[in-house]
Amino acid sequence: MNKKALLKISNLAKSYGSVVALRDANFEVLPGEIHALLGANGAGKSTLVKILTGVISSDQGVIEVNGTPVKFTSPDNARKGGVAPVFQDPALIPDISIQRNLHLTGTNKNRFLKEIAQMGLTVDLNKLASEIELPLLRMIDLARALSHDPDLLILDEITAALPVDMAQKVISIMGQYKAQGKSVIFISHRLAEIEEICDRATVLRDGINVDTFDAAAGSEERIVASMLGDKNVSAKEHNQRSNKSENDILLKVEGLAGGKHLKSVSFEIHKGEVLGVAALEGQGQDLLFEILAGESKPSDGKIFINNNEVHFNHPDDAIKYGISYVPGDRKTALMPQRSIRENLALTRFRGLRNWGKINFRDEDSKVDGAIESLEIDTRAKSQVKRLSGGNQQKVTIGRWVTTGFDLLLCFDPTRGIDVGTKAQIYALIEKFANEGMAVLLFTSELREIQLACDRAIVLYEGKVQADLEYDNCDEASLLNAAHGLVGA
Amino acid sequence: MNSIKLKRQSWNIGIILIALFLGSWQVSRLPVFGSYEARTFLLGILPIALLSMGQAIIIIGGGINLAIGAESVLINCLAARFMVDKSFTVAVALTIFFLLISVLVGALTGLIISKSKIADIIVTLATSFILIGLAMYIQPSPGGGMNLTLAHLISGKDSAFLPPLITLILPLIVIWLPLYRSRTGIAMFAIGSNKDSAFLSGVNVDRTRIKLYAIGGLFAGISGIALTAITLSGSPFASISNTATLNSVAGAVLGGVALSGGVGGLTGPALAALILYFIPTILLNYGIDPAYSQIITGALTIFVVLVGGLIRNRGKKK
Repeated sequence: MNKKALLKISNLAKSYGSVVALRDANFEVLPGEIHALLGANGAGKSTLVKILTGVISSDQGVIEVNGTPVKFTSPDNARKGGVAPVFQDPALIPDISIQRNLHLTGTNKNRFLKEIAQMGLTVDLNKLASEIELPLLRMIDLARALSHDPDLLILDEITAALPVDMAQKVISIMGQYKAQGKSVIFISHRLAEIEEICDRATVLRDGINVDTFDAAAGSEERIVASMLGDKNVSAKEHNQRSNKSENDILLKVEGLAGGKHLKSVSFEIHKGEVLGVAALEGQGQDLLFEILAGESKPSDGKIFINNNEVHFNHPDDAIKYGISYVPGDRKTALMPQRSIRENLALTRFRGLRNWGKINFRDEDSKVDGAIESLEIDTRAKSQVKRLSGGNQQKVTIGRWVTTGFDLLLCFDPTRGIDVGTKAQIYALIEKFANEGMAVLLFTSELREIQLACDRAIVLYEGKVQADLEYDNCDEASLLNAAHGLVGA
Repeated sequence: MNSIKLKRQSWNIGIILIALFLGSWQVSRLPVFGSYEARTFLLGILPIALLSMGQAIIIIGGGINLAIGAESVLINCLAARFMVDKSFTVAVALTIFFLLISVLVGALTGLIISKSKIADIIVTLATSFILIGLAMYIQPSPGGGMNLTLAHLISGKDSAFLPPLITLILPLIVIWLPLYRSRTGIAMFAIGSNKDSAFLSGVNVDRTRIKLYAIGGLFAGISGIALTAITLSGSPFASISNTATLNSVAGAVLGGVALSGGVGGLTGPALAALILYFIPTILLNYGIDPAYSQIITGALTIFVVLVGGLIRNRGKKK
């Protein structure tokens, strides 16, 4: 590889107070290359992206574009320098129309519409960004970045929020972009995507680049190994539980309907069972979870717990019946400015009398227990918002560990989380099930179903398209059912 | 106008309907309604409507200015003190100069907030004390005046209701419309809606905030000049400035500006000032205790914001 590097990063470092986010990062991106950037949560990927795009400045180190040292002072500045990012969180302003959003970044409207049309999508420019669903918003973000014709496109976990079909679209767009001689830095936790599209991969660990190699099929093990270092967490074989008995139906749902997407969903879940839910985007799965958590009301259908029909008017009702909900958006579940301790202890207030004193000693032991069993990284414990995404997710699950529950609803709990933390979360779910609790798990990553679940239902057009036993939950079957091709 | 746009205008339409209803009620109570009465209406709302518009710009941008009333009072005292017995040309030059000062005061406030990272509400509470102090220093007791030709040009005379109407509408056309269409205008909505996304979109958050406070200051300055033209004096009282500030917030909120930022316009707040003026006047006409009119104004504010908020939220749910 004697081509001159498009982007060269040397000795980049950044600390926030005593927390070192990036220690010493070095790597190159060649012209016409799709370069994967990998690493566990907190390894420094997001920090690196922020430095590359001028959101924050580095403490030390050099960034060179086409051999010239640059220092981007703002995202606007970076965009003009040929580096266009699509950030992990949507960067569109919610309260103004798409048209005005484009105006804000100086994006050519016709060019943008052309990009959107090439993706096979349509966008009403007069709509406010807040009126558009997340997956489409991500695609708009991407189209906007592409409209600026950057030499280097940075995609930070864009596929995490996308359903399978759109993620595939993003991958083909990256391929086309590469064919034009442009480069992409691609960040994703989905190793299959990395193998499919990327030329090379650089792995970060603890803020240092530990490995760079050609990303080809079969490199999965090398990726995982270098991401985790000496931590030995391979995605371990799922051992099926056999103690499940037909009489122990914990939750039964009959003909549940609501909103635009949820038509009629029926299923049951046994004690000690992990039931997976698979679906493409917009099949009503989010509303299903909200209804079971007492957050929304169904327009039709019945919910039974231990064979008694129940009605939820408020999340509190669901919690009383032992249902705990871990929402997909970590930000809605957490109090970002409070400490890990307070976030974990939040749900314990139910055990307190009004005006009663908090028993801190008891709380301490429970909270410490949860932190330990979940292996939460407590370096930045004073404010949850400073934790990495994976650690935040552990806190949202951990708070229910401190209180206890019968049924845990997990909506895409591993979105945007590294392999190691994912394995920890699977193990946690398995532990719950072994203790006799039930877990309903929606995941946007189909291979997770066989890693974590005993059985799976697939939703399609608001109905249960297929109810699959463990052995039939392979990715191909799930995908077919999710597209409405088999089953029912 | 398609349905999306219509829905977005629903707040303004609601406010117009309420204002029309109250207006016709008030007119029907009057023995005669002519241009003289029209001018009285306009003079009653002019200072507060301008102030509400200035406040609205700052709130849309995600801030709040508790010193906006003090800015207005300061300009009022400056104008009354230095414009008394001056020729028309000098008075006009002074007006421009004082408006520049109001812009500067606003920009300075925005600069302090941006650089210190202290919350808007704290900085502006502090600057309101400073500005009132300055006003009291400049004009220790109520008094002063203004060149009458200029005063009549701004606020009219006898039954000339056009000048105050122009003073009210001109800033909308000359300042608000170009602002709304400019990149700064989009940046205003952007930083009010989501500061981080705005920054990622390439908005210079600090500079935008300073500009918005400066424009808000300009509206406060125009309000102060208008107040001088109407009353022909300057009154350095904290109570006036505090009431004006609170009314400007009420006007902005009643006019459809979301306190959380990022949503709203200036027409609503201007009309809301009309409503805030009509209620006590009408009730007074009926001989109802002013205490009740305060209560009713408050209740109506909650009601309008509640209904408007419900409509808005329903529109947002998928």
